[in-house]
Amino acid sequence: MNYHILQKDNLNCFIKSLAKQMKVYAPVAKGYNNFAFEEVTEAEQISMDYIPTILPPKKYFMPPREKMLDFDLNGGKPQDKAVLEAEKLAVFAVHTCDLAGIQCLNMVFSERPRDYNYLLRKENIVIIGLECNKYCDGNASCALVGNHYPNGGYDLFFTDIGDKWIIHVNTQKGEELVEGMGLGKASVADMTALGKVREAKKEAFGNEIGVEPKKLTEVFAKGMDSKVWHDVGSRCVSCGNCTNVCPTCYCFDMTDSINLDMKTGSRNRTWDSCQFETFATVAGGENFREERAHRQRHRYYRKFKYPLDKFNRAFCTGCGRCTRTCMAKINLKDTLKALAAESK
Amino acid sequence: MKTAKKDTKAPAKAPKAAAKPKVAFFDFASCEGCQLQMTNLGELLLDILGAVDVVEFREAISEKWDKDYDVVFIEGSIGDHHAEERLKKIRARAKVLIAYGACACTGGVNGMKNGFELDEIRQSVYGKDYKLFDSTPTRAIDQVVKVDYYINGCPVYPPEIIEVVKHALRGLPYTVPDNPVCSECKLNENVCMYERGVACLGPWTKAGCNSWCVNNGNICYGCRGEVKNPAKNAAKDVISKYNLKPELITKKFEMYNKCKEGAK
Repeated sequence: MNYHILQKDNLNCFIKSLAKQMKVYAPVAKGYNNFAFEEVTEAEQISMDYIPTILPPKKYFMPPREKMLDFDLNGGKPQDKAVLEAEKLAVFAVHTCDLAGIQCLNMVFSERPRDYNYLLRKENIVIIGLECNKYCDGNASCALVGNHYPNGGYDLFFTDIGDKWIIHVNTQKGEELVEGMGLGKASVADMTALGKVREAKKEAFGNEIGVEPKKLTEVFAKGMDSKVWHDVGSRCVSCGNCTNVCPTCYCFDMTDSINLDMKTGSRNRTWDSCQFETFATVAGGENFREERAHRQRHRYYRKFKYPLDKFNRAFCTGCGRCTRTCMAKINLKDTLKALAAESK
Repeated sequence: MKTAKKDTKAPAKAPKAAAKPKVAFFDFASCEGCQLQMTNLGELLLDILGAVDVVEFREAISEKWDKDYDVVFIEGSIGDHHAEERLKKIRARAKVLIAYGACACTGGVNGMKNGFELDEIRQSVYGKDYKLFDSTPTRAIDQVVKVDYYINGCPVYPPEIIEVVKHALRGLPYTVPDNPVCSECKLNENVCMYERGVACLGPWTKAGCNSWCVNNGNICYGCRGEVKNPAKNAAKDVISKYNLKPELITKKFEMYNKCKEGAK
């Protein structure tokens, strides 16, 4: 076990030293209890006590808008050149829910055909996690999916044990960083303190919907025709907020854009959303999920059913973003509870 | 065989400079601010001028053109019989017609006129001799003639102008996004206006502007028109979640969306 210590007073040295090596992104307060990962150069810009950011850190792995290739129609045969760019950067203070989100995306984009744009970025990103010792707010459901504790997926991981952070070193990249900064090793007392924090969390966190995850699998297996979806669908705005802020939603749309010279151009991808009316519309005008109810149901199944079948892992990280962002008050916990109640 | 192959490739390579499309701008009931946006494009305007010949543009040049147009940009809405006739004549001479800006696409702020009795509003504007001044309910351009492309917005959003121009030059259809503005606003990671306690029309308004207003600290006023299938019941939830008055939202809608329910 490789644990190091950072005194809280020394956080600024840590951030500054990190920022000398690469760009550092961390949660920053945006007002109105909203936070966003933004570039920082010193510790005072960072909100160490924050509720999940508007967009999850997936934006660094898979930018909302991204150029895939440049093309040139000059000459007889069209030429194209893939754009593969990844800047070395660190994402600091990533909650365990968001670490889980990145793990999910890693699985998806490592499948064949591999997504090289994603994988190249991932190689260049240092992930530094931050433990939540208490709930961020009542919208989270991290304990339901077991993401209130760290389950890997980081280079370094910070836990607040009073006047200092105990840092778990999980990779060689992480090791080099803490060694380079000369951070001391954790003592036995520090390890005991960490144990106490983890123990206290057993009390502080608990299954938020009172339905066992295993039972939830059955609930979804039976829930295709539930009236819950019609209730949710009747309220849905189809704004796509829930999927855009989701740490595990990765659907995108691709478009070609030509320059005014009408000869050169680029192929670009943008985050798409299964909640948009156009999402499942195909040539000829047929729409496979015309009803909002069907689109919302699809979203839930993409979190609690299909990825379990495929990867044996729920793609809901329990971050609570979809509930917080929904203007029409569609609530993940309530939806799951209603669905479970119905299948009893 | 070889020569035949070459011939099929030739048109793609051939420079079209000799036949640059003839483009004209016309305005009806509007502030002409959208045409101004064209001149505000800066260097991009030079790129456009490299691809087209502007033959009529009252706001920028004094030349006139008496032949057919390849592409016409129509700014403004139609509010009297004379405008209607003039628009039809322009349409008859134009291969491609682009409705340009909110007034042309949805009726824009001029649509507010339709919330009143016509004679009442004429009287309020023209006084007792109002009957001397012709006036009809506001109509968007596609309520009078066929429209080939729409560039929504008050004013139009420069990157979308370029997109539509490129589509028109290639003869491809341009699809105005039919998702709410929120879909772009979220990608820009703005703090939701509702979180700030302000009613915003983003959830019902067509995207395509990259949430231009919200990025700059303003609400969405709905200038691009309603999405085709707006969430009818959602307003109730939205209003109750954020503790707002329903009139706040409906009144804001009337500013740009009175003329017709949603632009195409």
